[in-house]
Amino acid sequence: MKLFEYQAKDLFEESDIPVPRRSLISDASEIDGAVEEVGFPCVVKAQVLRGGRGKAGLIQFASTREEARTKAEQILGSPANVPSLLVEQALNIDKEIYLSITADPVSGSALIMASAEGGVEIEEVARTMPDRIIMERVKLSEGLLPFQARNVMFGLGLDADGVRTGSAMLLNLYDLFREYDAELVEINPLVVTGDGALVAADGKVTIDDSSLHRQGRFTLGREYFESDVEYEGAMEGIPCLKFDGKIGLMCAGAGLTNVIYDLVNYGGGSVASYIEFGGPNYRKAVKAMELMMRTEPKVVLVVTFGTIARADVIAEGLVDAIEQLKPEFPVVTAIRGTGEEKTQELLRGVGLEPLTDTEEAVERAIELTTEVRR
Amino acid sequence: MSVVLDSSTRVLVQGITGREGSFWTEHMVNYGTNVVAGATPGREGQEVHGVPVFHTVRRAAAEFPADASLLFVPPRFAKDAIYEALDAGIKTVVVLSEGIPLHDALQIRRAALSEGAMVIGGNTSGVISTGEAMMGFFPYWIERVYRPGRIGIMTRSGSLTNEVTAQIVKAGFGASTLVGVGGDSVPLTRFAEVLPMFEADPETDAVVIIGELGGTMEEEVAEAIEAGIFTKPLVASLGGRTAPKGTKMGHAGAIITAGKGTVEDKVAALTGAGALVADRPSSVGEMLQSVLEKVG
Repeated sequence: MKLFEYQAKDLFEESDIPVPRRSLISDASEIDGAVEEVGFPCVVKAQVLRGGRGKAGLIQFASTREEARTKAEQILGSPANVPSLLVEQALNIDKEIYLSITADPVSGSALIMASAEGGVEIEEVARTMPDRIIMERVKLSEGLLPFQARNVMFGLGLDADGVRTGSAMLLNLYDLFREYDAELVEINPLVVTGDGALVAADGKVTIDDSSLHRQGRFTLGREYFESDVEYEGAMEGIPCLKFDGKIGLMCAGAGLTNVIYDLVNYGGGSVASYIEFGGPNYRKAVKAMELMMRTEPKVVLVVTFGTIARADVIAEGLVDAIEQLKPEFPVVTAIRGTGEEKTQELLRGVGLEPLTDTEEAVERAIELTTEVRR
Repeated sequence: MSVVLDSSTRVLVQGITGREGSFWTEHMVNYGTNVVAGATPGREGQEVHGVPVFHTVRRAAAEFPADASLLFVPPRFAKDAIYEALDAGIKTVVVLSEGIPLHDALQIRRAALSEGAMVIGGNTSGVISTGEAMMGFFPYWIERVYRPGRIGIMTRSGSLTNEVTAQIVKAGFGASTLVGVGGDSVPLTRFAEVLPMFEADPETDAVVIIGELGGTMEEEVAEAIEAGIFTKPLVASLGGRTAPKGTKMGHAGAIITAGKGTVEDKVAALTGAGALVADRPSSVGEMLQSVLEKVG
């Protein structure tokens, strides 16, 4: 679960990690109160989860009340569907640092990454100057030790004062990482201000989805999803991703779906949506089809190789869904595994052609999108 | 022969009295697996398909020493159950649960490394040595998927494994041992750690890995080949070449982060090391034919 910047900064503040003065608003009419609190110059930042906010014009500076209001209206009115704005004191920047804690699956430890080249994406630094990234691995059983924090801060080239405050801050950030079962905590940039203070100018916190049962503080709501259908799918326990293409994928299993996704793209087709139809969801065909219809595909492709999730049970569900919901798009199927003969009978019963070869099914779906276009 | 387990491996089942535990224990026993005991707190004295049940792993192992333990436990209890098995001196543990908390997984991984144990999973169907024994849930009765043979298989996915394995069988081959390392972001055992076992197994002629975007396990396989740790033919089937960046594609581990984990990188590393990379399941069979004919 990815948190919004304002939530990450609330957590930082509670953990004694310095953050800029700030105020959260959801309507442009609240801007006067916000700038009063924050002062000028200020930054108006869209609270959205996707990256690239700067490039998309979703972060804007303002030095007057009028300017702040215009920028706020502009961002809230943009087609990016922005639920709220963080209005923040603009910082006097001397240096920008990158700092994060994530999981290192190879060694089974937490991994601190830091770089004096802050403000740009770490991918960029990793590609162009990999030796400028400082890494420190932390055993969860021991926790972050002070010498490790010092290793990082001296590595960043901070002065003695900077190392002291930076180390204390990193220890706090590590505690936050542990306490919230984080997959990622990231400060980019961590700003060294003109008077030598360290301030988290941005913040990312992602809580591990498998730990949400013991992390009750944040609840998933509509604002965490790009579309209504993705939100509803998540609430039903049916993972759903929406794309811009034509073919809806209702496949069982993530691994298989990823391969089908590739095959569709190789063949010149495009994917409209990805609905997980495997695991425990193979009994939820009607709900899955309902969600599928709302992603407006031109063709739906059902590919499964169900052995424990029996093929005939999947087919029964699919037949129910088609009879109840009467989708207008064609449905192409390759449903294999346990109970295949009965599967074929069931599918023929509702006028579907039961294919058995994955690649043939993908080709058929692509052909159908081409015909529909004509 | 086979790797990880064979028909002589003494297997303990934790969570044996649950619905899934008991259902699959029956299949495992029928398949020829040497299931010696089970553990479920509070259920000592019961039997599940002829297998005696004990309160704790320690009590079970005292009477029926075990080489390996299979866990049917909810993900949030996985860490406790795995530590219990390691504490009893068991060196091979298979955990099937999907959704082990990330920080638990990191701790388990480190504990396994320091104990010199192999913990396989989570989010996997388990391990099957065809015709011999299995730990996990495999519908071994489906012959066009689970045919005995001389190809070692390692996989991050359940559903895709059926698809790829069916292609391997169609091309005239079968599996020696299939190891599901699982689809989580912290697989507790990594591809490259199983590879030396396949290298040492005289009844494995080649290895197929079924991988996907995310993480660096496929790159580590390439390194093992380059270092001469693995010298047999290797074919990789990789999903997610066209996946959008930053999107979690179903599996927790199937995501491109910090520029790492693209299939492009994996293909470059593997082909650079001399492995063959299939862009679709149907090519895997043909590729195996081409390399194994050459070998003779």
